[in-house]
Amino acid sequence: MVRGIQSFHPFVLLVYYVLIIIGLMLYQHPLFLLGALFLIGTFNYILDKGRELKKWGFMIGMMSTLIILLTPIFNRRGNQILFHLFDQPIMLEAVIQGIMIASTLVGILAIFVTFNIVLTPDKLLYLFSKVLPQWALLTMLSMRFVPLLIRKVKEMMNIQQVKGLAINQGSVHKRAKNGMQIMQMLLTNALEDSIQAADSMSARGYGLQKRSNYKAFKMKSKDWLTLGYLMGFAIILLFGWAKGDGVLQLEPVLETIMFSGSEYIYFITWLFLIGFPILTEGKEVIHWKYYQWKM
Amino acid sequence: MEILSMENVGFTYPDSNEEVLKSINFTIHKGDFIVLCGSSGSGKSTLLRLIKHDLAPHGDLQGDIYYKEKRLEDHSPIRRAKEIGMVFQDPENQIVMDTVMNELLFGLENMGYSTPEMNKKIAEMTQFFGLNGLLKKKTDELSGGEKQLVNLVSVLLLDPDIILLDEPTSQLDPIAAKEFIYTLERLNDEFGITVLIVEHRLEDLFTVAEYVMVMDEGRISYIDMPEEVVKKLINHPTLSRFLPSASRIFLNFSESNESKQIPITVKEAQGWLETQVIHPSKTMEKTRDVNKNILKLKEIDFQYVKRVPPVLHNLSLNVCKGEWHAILGANGTGKSTLLKIIAGLLKHQHGSIKYDGKKIKNNYHEIVSYLPQNPALYFVQDTLMKEYRMLARHFQIENANEKISQLLNQFQIYDLKDRHPHDLSGGQLQKAALIGTLLTQPAILLIDEPTKGLDPESKSRLAEVLRTLIKDGLTIVMVTHDVEFAASYSSRSSLLFQGQITTTEDTRKFFKENMYYTTTVNRITRKSNAPSVITIEEANEKWHVQKDY
Repeated sequence: MVRGIQSFHPFVLLVYYVLIIIGLMLYQHPLFLLGALFLIGTFNYILDKGRELKKWGFMIGMMSTLIILLTPIFNRRGNQILFHLFDQPIMLEAVIQGIMIASTLVGILAIFVTFNIVLTPDKLLYLFSKVLPQWALLTMLSMRFVPLLIRKVKEMMNIQQVKGLAINQGSVHKRAKNGMQIMQMLLTNALEDSIQAADSMSARGYGLQKRSNYKAFKMKSKDWLTLGYLMGFAIILLFGWAKGDGVLQLEPVLETIMFSGSEYIYFITWLFLIGFPILTEGKEVIHWKYYQWKM
Repeated sequence: MEILSMENVGFTYPDSNEEVLKSINFTIHKGDFIVLCGSSGSGKSTLLRLIKHDLAPHGDLQGDIYYKEKRLEDHSPIRRAKEIGMVFQDPENQIVMDTVMNELLFGLENMGYSTPEMNKKIAEMTQFFGLNGLLKKKTDELSGGEKQLVNLVSVLLLDPDIILLDEPTSQLDPIAAKEFIYTLERLNDEFGITVLIVEHRLEDLFTVAEYVMVMDEGRISYIDMPEEVVKKLINHPTLSRFLPSASRIFLNFSESNESKQIPITVKEAQGWLETQVIHPSKTMEKTRDVNKNILKLKEIDFQYVKRVPPVLHNLSLNVCKGEWHAILGANGTGKSTLLKIIAGLLKHQHGSIKYDGKKIKNNYHEIVSYLPQNPALYFVQDTLMKEYRMLARHFQIENANEKISQLLNQFQIYDLKDRHPHDLSGGQLQKAALIGTLLTQPAILLIDEPTKGLDPESKSRLAEVLRTLIKDGLTIVMVTHDVEFAASYSSRSSLLFQGQITTTEDTRKFFKENMYYTTTVNRITRKSNAPSVITIEEANEKWHVQKDY
């Protein structure tokens, strides 16, 4: 999509993700977390109809079930005993805590799935190169040469296999020996190839002076605006958190789960912060529907 | 305007007494298109690298090299890097970035351009070369021709005045090579960029070049216009093979080469042919006695991944005993895949392969041997002899030492037996790997693109070697792009198209019926009044040219 969430400057996106992850960890309140999970799920659905998330589904499910089951068994702090399991009291507070830890984890994992889709390697590398240009260059070089090396190993193994010197046959000793020989030759080959690569680099003036850095992304006014929006909401939320709103008190007395007073404001702010990608994507959808309708 | 000149340049590598370059003198003017040719080891690459000062080999350099009226070393390194561009032989190894865009940016970033400048330059260049569709692609998804184009463009982005090219098309298939050369011609015509290219494949370059520079044993023997060079080289024992077929066929049949215009292009040669009266001589077409099949492929299907269209589909092929079978086809038609299936490296999903009427299970290497495209990857030991000994031990070959010495002598590389494989030239390496494949005495030898990167001389030597092997009863299945090579030496040819073998015929018949996918000589003679032939050798057999005086 040219416009939606992926069109924002990588830095803005990074800020968004950092804020959401911090938020998920700070706002330990069932309703806050539930709202977050719902919106993150929607975000995943909008991006790729939840295909990537499904791949992680099993792992996420297993982990959250384990946490929900195990926390009450090990955590015995609280006042309200629900029932006894093997003579151990199971506390309501601990059950709630288990659910909150689990949903925090699910939320973080699910937002990471979108992170992988939205912040593609080139965007990450761009951010990275701002801080450490030399390392970014090295990363880019290895992104080119590691696959090349792997391809060469495969080719060499094929050739050795036709020669009858396969490394997947024979005794362990023999396999290891053949494997080592292939490795050794591969290194010789790689060295030779890298001389050519180095020639081609210096032929294009590498190392003569300080390199400039191509800025593939520019902070547009839209990005600044968004950054302001995100930061503003974040400050409001941080303020709320410092006041103790949006965190469910478990001790000394269990707070009621329903919101009270200003908590409504923080809840809505929180939803707007997480839902920012959904808003931008939704705007695009409406925009297109309207456009087509007008045609 | 003079752009580059050498005065009495000589060069000796360290630890060597022999001069690689001897008293080189020449001057290149701005906008020249110069082809530098000569057999392997004549010092072409060394000369080119001396001009690209920052890549100059270590050693003892005599004389002076001038660039724009100043000594090369007096220019600033930045200016040298910008104004003298260089493209190398191997398309793969000179790409250093993972996407095309990053590769193009690499040089620009080195030069310290700002982002808007880079955007502008790249936009301009990609438009001109039609790279738009490639910009976001990964560099290892590109074809050889595209890779070399990216390499050229990334050099051009620095706005060079002269481009040096070290055998840029030797790893490309003929069609990509042609396109690359026409791109160079366009650069030269439209921007006046000076081009100095070292190349073995001269069929097309002779028509494009303004001057041809011929090197022989470290000396420049000629610098002249292509026509003149043709006249001078025609009697040269080895370098005459470098000439375009159009000229060679002409000079083969006309005695006096002084007065007439020598044809260089197909069109010119056709014009000459029209003026000739040629009778077919009475030669009998050799009829090959039909041998029995040694290899039979039936209805082979193969696909790498499910849901992707199959690479090979319903492919059937018969290879007869003792023949040299060439399989031709464009890039990506599955030629190499086919070889891998025959070699047992890949398993076909449908169909059967029978060797001598029998299926084989695991002992592929007793029947087939495989000479890879890149013979350097064949060796796992650090000297040739060690490699052969290891193979002998592994397969418990009797009289191994005798066999090895005999083969080494037969291929004339006995002196190299203790060298590291990487110290050999392309032709030598190929022969060395060939010995390895022959030690196990296979019935069938599979060869993948044997002529890649070889100069014409090494090619014909390789062909001689393979011919003697055929005489001794070996069957060769060769996959190649090299139409001229297949036409000259193979006995039968097949065309692989859309995953199938569409035709299999005797080589001569095969090429005669093709219109484009055929040799230059055939294109010259196809519609002439002379009997159509596919190689000069065939013309020698079949033509009787009537003298018109």
